[in-house]
Amino acid sequence: MEAYVQALLSGLAVGGIYALIALSFSITFTTTRTLNFAQGEFVSFGAFVGVTALLVLTGTASLSLTYPFALVVAGVVAGVVGILVFVLAVRPFAGKPGMSWVMSTIGFGIILQSAGLALWGPAPAKLPGPFGEGIIRIAGAGVRPQEVLILVAAIVILFGFEAVMQHTRLGKATRAVAHSPDVASLMGINVPVVMMGAFAASSALAGVSGVLIAPISTASLYMGLGFALKAFAGAIIGGLDNPRGCIYGGFMLGVVESYVGLWHSQWREIAVFLLIILVLAIRPNGIFGARTLQKV
Amino acid sequence: MALLEVSGLGLAYGPIRAAEDISLQVGADEIVAIIGGNGAGKTSLLKGIAGLLTPTTGTVRFSGEDITRLAPHRRVGLGIALSPEGRQVFPDQSVADNLVLGAYARNFARGELEAEIEEKFALFPRLAERRNQPALTLSGGEQQMLAIARALMSRPRLLLLDEPSLGLAPIIVRDVFRIIETLRGRGISILIVEQMANLALKVSNRAYVIESGRITLDGKSADLLHDPRIRAAYLGVSHG
Ligand SMILES: Nc1ncnc2c1ncn2[C@@H]1O[C@H](COP(=O)(O)OP(=O)(O)OP(=O)(O)O)[C@@H](O)[C@H]1O
Ligand SMILES: [Mg+2]
Repeated sequence: MEAYVQALLSGLAVGGIYALIALSFSITFTTTRTLNFAQGEFVSFGAFVGVTALLVLTGTASLSLTYPFALVVAGVVAGVVGILVFVLAVRPFAGKPGMSWVMSTIGFGIILQSAGLALWGPAPAKLPGPFGEGIIRIAGAGVRPQEVLILVAAIVILFGFEAVMQHTRLGKATRAVAHSPDVASLMGINVPVVMMGAFAASSALAGVSGVLIAPISTASLYMGLGFALKAFAGAIIGGLDNPRGCIYGGFMLGVVESYVGLWHSQWREIAVFLLIILVLAIRPNGIFGARTLQKV
Repeated sequence: MALLEVSGLGLAYGPIRAAEDISLQVGADEIVAIIGGNGAGKTSLLKGIAGLLTPTTGTVRFSGEDITRLAPHRRVGLGIALSPEGRQVFPDQSVADNLVLGAYARNFARGELEAEIEEKFALFPRLAERRNQPALTLSGGEQQMLAIARALMSRPRLLLLDEPSLGLAPIIVRDVFRIIETLRGRGISILIVEQMANLALKVSNRAYVIESGRITLDGKSADLLHDPRIRAAYLGVSHG
């Protein structure tokens, strides 16, 4: 029994990371019909920016103060680099036939990773969580405090995002751009700026995810790719054009993966991708998706 | 000086030419109609004026300023609003939010925005009853009214209307044109594109006829309404 609760909680925690990154894919897809294939590198990059921020602040305050600061710094730095991705790797190709942006964003990821290796070296780094390494008990199951933190942070961020999108002027404008950039521009919305903002928000989410996951994963410059792939799978399952669907897809994937791992850990990856194939066979646009992918 | 001056405008989608050497003016407080058949280039012309399509030749001037290459969102700020063909309301957003977006260029204070929205609801009472419904739940006629109301939210000096009658039942079309009529004398100039030539000529002061991307005829609407060429081609009346 405890094992099941434990698997559920850690599945939800990792699922929270998948959900955040899946949402980050959805944000650029709905607004610009493009994806940032460097998202995995942004997760790793965010983690190392976080490690660096903590290092700079060592001894100045307790970790429960410096860790949130590291989250914010990673989000801001990743967001700014995300604007660069848009300006350098996406904007020149967006709206033109062909898929040059696929190659250019992958290329940007490689540059980002190489820059990271030059800056921080290839060795994994240690990023401590604010609540230490102890085990806390929930319904008899032992969970790591960082897992609880991830889950809470993910839920807060996801609800915050939803509130901004539904109730603010900026959110409404972003949804207008997602529906039609031309019609949005007829409202007086500066569409390129909204798209740039979408890339900033998307990259910031990836960066923050890196700082959240690093304490229970190994913070290496290669760690992001695996998370981004799974998150992308979650986004596809949920429906890339539906932000809420992407969030559900991410959580679902985390939990399924965790339960299969309980049974046979080497079957984890196989089960995950069988699930994707099954879902897509029944619902080609994802469980919550509506429009087709071919709009790019 | 006319409010809008289009001269020698050429428009194209890549290699496909949509309009050539279009020149027209819209004066202050004037309602001007553009009539023409399918594929004549009417929508393309409005896109050129609103900034969605960059002209290959010619210029667009708005109250004396050259706006030929100005981004569309900046033109809204100057006072040009387009109610696009096929309505194009934001389907997942409420009627009220569609209106809020219409005022995006204006940065109204909250109270001012509310007042502006209430004013539109007074003009279109059917929208008032549906203010919190997503726009996709509206009927075609209601969506057309919303598209016009949304365009008016930016307090335009020039309102561009692209086929407001499209896909609507005749009785609804009459309602829509009655509302366009009420906009006369409110300091808004209107450029209206229509296939329903009869209605367009009745509501407008002047009109241009566009065929295969060129203006072939223009004049006072009252005169064109009785021009045998117009009657034959656009009003379904034969010669003699
Ligand atoms: N997006 C586009 N890409 C390529 N060609 C286009 C595009 N839009 C319009 N055209 C072409 O440009 C020409 C003019 O089209 P436009 O839509 O301006 O005509 P219209 O007068 O508005 O017609 P309708 O009354 O059917 O709306 C047509 O030949 C059309 O095929
Ligand atoms: Mg048209």
